[in-house]
Amino acid sequence: MTGILDVVYAEYNYWIYVALMMIGFYAMIAKKNLIKKVIGANIFQTAIFLFYVSLADITGGTAPILPHVHGGEHVEHAADVIYTNPVPHCLILTAIVVSVSTTAVALALIIRIYNEYGSLDEDVILAARKSLQPEFSEYARQKSVDEVSRQ
Amino acid sequence: MNKLALFVVVITGLMLIYAGQDLPPFGDPDTAMYQHNMTQYFIENSESESGVSNIVTALLANYRGYDTLGETTVIFTAGMAVMLLLRRRER
Repeated sequence: MTGILDVVYAEYNYWIYVALMMIGFYAMIAKKNLIKKVIGANIFQTAIFLFYVSLADITGGTAPILPHVHGGEHVEHAADVIYTNPVPHCLILTAIVVSVSTTAVALALIIRIYNEYGSLDEDVILAARKSLQPEFSEYARQKSVDEVSRQ
Repeated sequence: MNKLALFVVVITGLMLIYAGQDLPPFGDPDTAMYQHNMTQYFIENSESESGVSNIVTALLANYRGYDTLGETTVIFTAGMAVMLLLRRRER
């Protein structure tokens, strides 16, 4: 039993990231409100960030900032100072920017949808879309006829 | 509660946990990722090559400068998309 507990404790960061990611995934696929879907996507992305940053961590390691440059205290470049892995930090810095960009576009789309349909609920929007569908197809047909007659 | 969604989520979580068994323990310095030549090279040489004390900054702006340039393209595209979506239509 202690063996299993040790395994769980040694990799507890993976359990946390899986739990967070699944909370976000559930919100994305089960919630009907579009804003809640976006929040779920953000939780999902944050779980990925947490996963990468926890992969980079070293027990007893410090932040990957060298202390002795640019007039700081001149510490000898001791080999026993352990830095955490800087490469995943850098990757995640890029991923955070992409996350913010996708969230911005998603929220702008949601504002347009709300202006058009007066609701954020997925079922209401789909029902409205279905009732509008004949008009939309008629409009598309008319437009293609116009295109052909212009040529 | 959506039963089907809950089922899918639980199955996916179990698959992720199963796949995570091969990942290294938390905080282990002896992983292939940390002992890789590239990581050690960055930690040892980024200061002398770029003159920045923060290794993450040196990585982002010096070694991966083109990636950061592409990142600004991502922000620009997202900003353009938001502007196009939210602009009032003139009719």
